[in-house]
Amino acid sequence: MDETKKKILVVDDEESIHLVYKEELNEEGYEVISALSGEEGLKLFQEENPDLVILDINMPGMDGIEVLRQMKQMKPNIPVIISSAYPEYKQDLASWASDDYIVKSFNLDELKNSIKRHLNKTMAN
Amino acid sequence: MPELRRDPIIGRWVIIASERGKRPYDFVKEKDKTKGGFCPLCPGHEHTTPPEVLVYGRPTHNPNGPDWQLRVVPNKFPALVIEGELDKRGEGIYDKMNGIGAHEVIIESPNHHETLANMEIDQLVLVFRAYKDRIIDLARDTRFKYIIVFKNFGKAAGASLEHSHSQLIALPIVPQIIQEELDGCIRYFDYKERCVFCDIIRQERSQNMRLVDENEDFITLCPFAPRSPFEMWVLPKKHQSRFTSMDDHQLYQLATLFSSTMKKLDKILPNVPYNYMLHTAPLRDSHLEHYHWHIEIMPKVSTIAGFEWGTGFHINTVPPEEAASLLNKA
Repeated sequence: MDETKKKILVVDDEESIHLVYKEELNEEGYEVISALSGEEGLKLFQEENPDLVILDINMPGMDGIEVLRQMKQMKPNIPVIISSAYPEYKQDLASWASDDYIVKSFNLDELKNSIKRHLNKTMAN
Repeated sequence: MPELRRDPIIGRWVIIASERGKRPYDFVKEKDKTKGGFCPLCPGHEHTTPPEVLVYGRPTHNPNGPDWQLRVVPNKFPALVIEGELDKRGEGIYDKMNGIGAHEVIIESPNHHETLANMEIDQLVLVFRAYKDRIIDLARDTRFKYIIVFKNFGKAAGASLEHSHSQLIALPIVPQIIQEELDGCIRYFDYKERCVFCDIIRQERSQNMRLVDENEDFITLCPFAPRSPFEMWVLPKKHQSRFTSMDDHQLYQLATLFSSTMKKLDKILPNVPYNYMLHTAPLRDSHLEHYHWHIEIMPKVSTIAGFEWGTGFHINTVPPEEAASLLNKA
């Protein structure tokens, strides 16, 4: 395994999202690990030490906001990007714990740019 | 028998359909579980918010440092953006403009667990002073016509974060709800040459059926045609169209009555989610004889569904007389 590859944890309850993100982000040179629930996401966050997290909000069981606050409590310097189909969660200030909030789209350019920006920032620090 | 009631200002109808035997506590659904975890508004986490535009209580010059009593910061994920021109334009019969506005967050206390029901009066004075200071500052921007201040408390009301905060949005237009209220006030004033809110206050004090609380300068009442069970309005007793016209004495009086009102609400409906909205005169209007600023408090105990969306009617299962009686005694 390439040790320099950045590892991205995707937490989303939709399998189709994992397929698309994995394909597109692998192409960008990232290693992608997947969690289908908030609980699984938290577990992998602790075990796999990802460099960045892409997090859905609306999930059965533990929702993304709760997962976000737990992740930032554990490792505040790991960037977490919210990726939700619903822009209205922006009004909930708990989302401020995240580093970016992106509304899901077929075009992943905004997400890819945000990933690059936040990984570069982490490296600079 | 259900009753239809008409709001005297905007003419909105509501259905008062009292559900006999329902006690106040039945309205409190599952209590929000305090989730804990990281809080972006707590002292020490200032780096997770945009830089502050207003701060109270910091004894030393330490911008965005942790020693503060109240902070106001721009919204990290704003609904509208501050930079740019309005560029008003038409597209056939349709009108549009750029989404220009200021969206700010008032972090009301450094204490994560403080709520408006248990906050010290002096801290609440700071909250209202911050509303006033930010409205005065943003009013200098001629692109803005209206500033709405609101609070969401509790997950059902749109805020899963427990840390006490409210929000402010400066808008390039007067919102339709405010415009309808202004139009209703003008109609009433044209007919009677009196402010409708002043008349409501006079009648409610004399009838004492929907009065919740009052002090020297302010009054809390349940409106005659409330949209939600336990809806309350807080109003200055003397005519005043702008929130920003309040002096220090009035700010203190408002904080005192507001604190008492929120304590009463919390006693009757413990930890109930709610929204409140400040309605004040538009920025570009001078002193208005027909308009009276006020705060509308809406506990989130009912659901807005097809009937409400389709008709604009709200169904309220607690008559305001009953709600006021319970709140008054709390």
